[in-house]
Amino acid sequence: MPLSGSFLQELERIVGAGGVVRTLEGRLVYECDMHTFYKGAPDAVALPTRAEEVVDIVKLCRRERVPIVPRGSGTGLIGGAMSPAGGVMIGTNRMDAILQIDLPNRCATVQPGLINLSLTRAVASRGYFFAPDPSSQMVSSIGGNVATNAGGPHCLKYGITTNHILGVELVTGAGELVQLGGKAVDHPGYDLLGAAVGSEGTFGIVTAVTVRLLHAAEAVKTILASFTTIEDASEAVSAIIAAGIVPAALEMLDELMIRAINEGTGAGYPKDAAAVLLIELDGPAAEVEAQGERAARICWERGALEVRVAADLAERALLWKGRKEAAGAVGRLAPTYLLQDAVVPRSKLPAIMRELIAIGARHRVQIANVFHAGDGNLHPLILYDDRAPDELERAKAANEELLRACIEMGGTVTGEHGVGLDKAKNLPLQYGEADLNFMYRLRRAFDPDSIMNPGKLLPSHPACGEGFRPSRPHVPAGAWI
Amino acid sequence: MSVAARSLGEAFVAIAGRDRVREDPPSLAAAAIDGLIPKWIVSPTSVDQLGPVLALAADTRLAVIPRGAGSALELGNPPARVDVVLDLTGLDRVIEYNPDDLTITVQAGITAGALATRLATHRQWLALDPPGAAARTIGGIAATNASGPLRGRFGSMRDLLLGVRFVQADGVLTWGGSKVVKSVSGYDVPKLMVGALGTLGVLAELTLRLHPRPETERTWLVPVESARAAQALVERIVDSPLQPSRLELFNGTALRLVSTESAGAGVAVSIGSVAEAVREQGERLMAIATVSAGRIVPMPEDFWSRAESALAPGRGSTVLHVAALADRLAGTVGAIEEAFRTVAPGAAVCLSASASLGTLRVTVSDAGVAETVAVTRRLRALVAEVGGSVVIARGPVELRRAVDAWGSVEPRAFALMRALRDEFDPARVLNPGRYVGGL
Repeated sequence: MPLSGSFLQELERIVGAGGVVRTLEGRLVYECDMHTFYKGAPDAVALPTRAEEVVDIVKLCRRERVPIVPRGSGTGLIGGAMSPAGGVMIGTNRMDAILQIDLPNRCATVQPGLINLSLTRAVASRGYFFAPDPSSQMVSSIGGNVATNAGGPHCLKYGITTNHILGVELVTGAGELVQLGGKAVDHPGYDLLGAAVGSEGTFGIVTAVTVRLLHAAEAVKTILASFTTIEDASEAVSAIIAAGIVPAALEMLDELMIRAINEGTGAGYPKDAAAVLLIELDGPAAEVEAQGERAARICWERGALEVRVAADLAERALLWKGRKEAAGAVGRLAPTYLLQDAVVPRSKLPAIMRELIAIGARHRVQIANVFHAGDGNLHPLILYDDRAPDELERAKAANEELLRACIEMGGTVTGEHGVGLDKAKNLPLQYGEADLNFMYRLRRAFDPDSIMNPGKLLPSHPACGEGFRPSRPHVPAGAWI
Repeated sequence: MSVAARSLGEAFVAIAGRDRVREDPPSLAAAAIDGLIPKWIVSPTSVDQLGPVLALAADTRLAVIPRGAGSALELGNPPARVDVVLDLTGLDRVIEYNPDDLTITVQAGITAGALATRLATHRQWLALDPPGAAARTIGGIAATNASGPLRGRFGSMRDLLLGVRFVQADGVLTWGGSKVVKSVSGYDVPKLMVGALGTLGVLAELTLRLHPRPETERTWLVPVESARAAQALVERIVDSPLQPSRLELFNGTALRLVSTESAGAGVAVSIGSVAEAVREQGERLMAIATVSAGRIVPMPEDFWSRAESALAPGRGSTVLHVAALADRLAGTVGAIEEAFRTVAPGAAVCLSASASLGTLRVTVSDAGVAETVAVTRRLRALVAEVGGSVVIARGPVELRRAVDAWGSVEPRAFALMRALRDEFDPARVLNPGRYVGGL
């Protein structure tokens, strides 16, 4: 339903004519995020510069029951920042200031549109960094990181976004500007901040974020170990963890991915390797040195073909080069792919890898793997040719089966990308009616009229609808009633 | 279950079994909470019994106080009503321990001590050390978001709770989160349950993130002349490449209790890592401490458990949890001591602080209710400037009647909290009146 002329006028009055995108070609820029399957252009895009403007936009939309979709840099992978039902998209790109850097308290307050890496760059010379490091960190916004509770290779040691957020200023779906959390670490009452991080814009729009800054590690050591089987590599992972070592990152590449990378970037991984493990340790120099030696020894003990240790920054970059270019390298194997983000308990890695091979064979698709082995977060790339008939369908079927397999092994449907439109339908694999209903009711407390990013995060399921009540346990009947 | 019962007591017996329901006056009197005597103590032995107990309570408008070890019953405001004390210590099983995944799922009533014993076999731990942890239940630690010196390095329960099974006020068994170390599927319900004092649901099972226990941990104590000198030392440590596992500041009174040292203040630093790294970091720590303070004293291995016992609050004493900012730590310590000195000169004020976070634990004995009320108000005004808080974590009921135990919550955030409480427990079955703003 197109927006009325008076609505658009009011929108322009709030953010200025230069802050509203109304033309078709302008709006098409916003029709999808990086998950390009899901397309839906908003009827208008508003680009506010201040929290007060966001409040006014939300109030206007609430009054007119117009859906709102928040968007940062649009680098999400879940069909989150797109408008399936039209309405207004609120882009935070013009709200990209660093409001305060407070090193004595090791925190900073920024606007949501600030690019993740810009914050680290602003404090790096003073020895600090912002830990969440999604692969998109050169372009993704901190507001987007908060919305999706983004992870990254180094969250094995440092945790995901939520562990680094001290406070947010949020405009709720009711149009209320509310401060959740703050610089002080304890705030009496429910941890609404904890619930809001990762809520994917369904509670409201974040207009300021206070983040924790960490002291940069004194030393970093990067080790690359290659193995002839995924099992050996997985056992090395378990042995490293069992030895009490928590690497900053612990990444694995499988055979198909190694081949693609070798053909592409010339990272020079051993040709007969079926698995490559990238281990990064950081911390005080003596600790990194001792643990690095131990980790390398474990790899040899588990039958590594080769163990390389980066001697300097340039070598470190070389070891990471293949990993970082993995997604691009698979372009040599197939024109396109579906990217999955499921998680299994780490000890189930060999089992899920076997299952993946079987699933690929069943559906006649190739699956290349690059994943965060340390926390069991898989990123299978299911390859397909979109020009070939039914390949996409087979890829999708393999994808769904893979998710089920992960859940059966005690895993979860998304480890770090989020739910969005893409995985909302999969949540019932993991949650029962009561669990979904609890989440639905939680959402309604923040967004009473269901205008915030509708259709995302929760499935269309009876338990996520008004009036549903999960079945209650039976109680003894008695005379007291 | 289709059982007819002649009384509510019989109905609880039908659910939990005769020996799991107590109605005798001495037991009930011993279970009184802030002077309110319950009518029943129900001690379920399975999670399946929790739902029917709460459903029955909700249908008959009873007030239920979930209780673990009972160590935090003086946290918060006095309850408005008490009918059922729901004793969770019978739910003390380990459901699933996966050492390779560094995760464990336990029932809420297991004590942190029992859990630690189980984890020690794999050299792992739940990196959470609130005072008195050994005897406390994991559910209680989660419901009160209790933490100790390890928080600066490993975070609090909100960072360690991966998944949670809980029973809503109407008896519906609900699950939130996941059983793996990384998940963003759906809202982070576990965080919402941490520190909620069971007012959104009774915690039944918790899936926890574990850490490998450091191979070696050594502790040093640095006595310094004042809190200001202590803060300066802390800042130098935090700004160095050292990665302490614990970094705790003590005021002079606390220092005398935890050690044989006598000084204006002290800083205890632990380094946990592989042996080589502990040795090397220890040397650097000594260099930093010698320059700033002149002296550093190695502490025995059991320093932290001895410090915990030495600082344990005595009967009738009051404990305040103060959240301020790290860069105002010395000022906050000074303000707390000064407030008691002027208002309650006879009081003994013991202070320990998680120095890198800016949180303080204040244990006060020999102060009257009126004096403590006055100090609490004064401190709240002081930390309000930095968005901090002062919570009465323990204290006589008269104190918690005279002043709100939680302090005020920003009105718009509070409106959201009330909306959640109204949504999930409109009849106020769970812990009525004890939580923020009398929720």
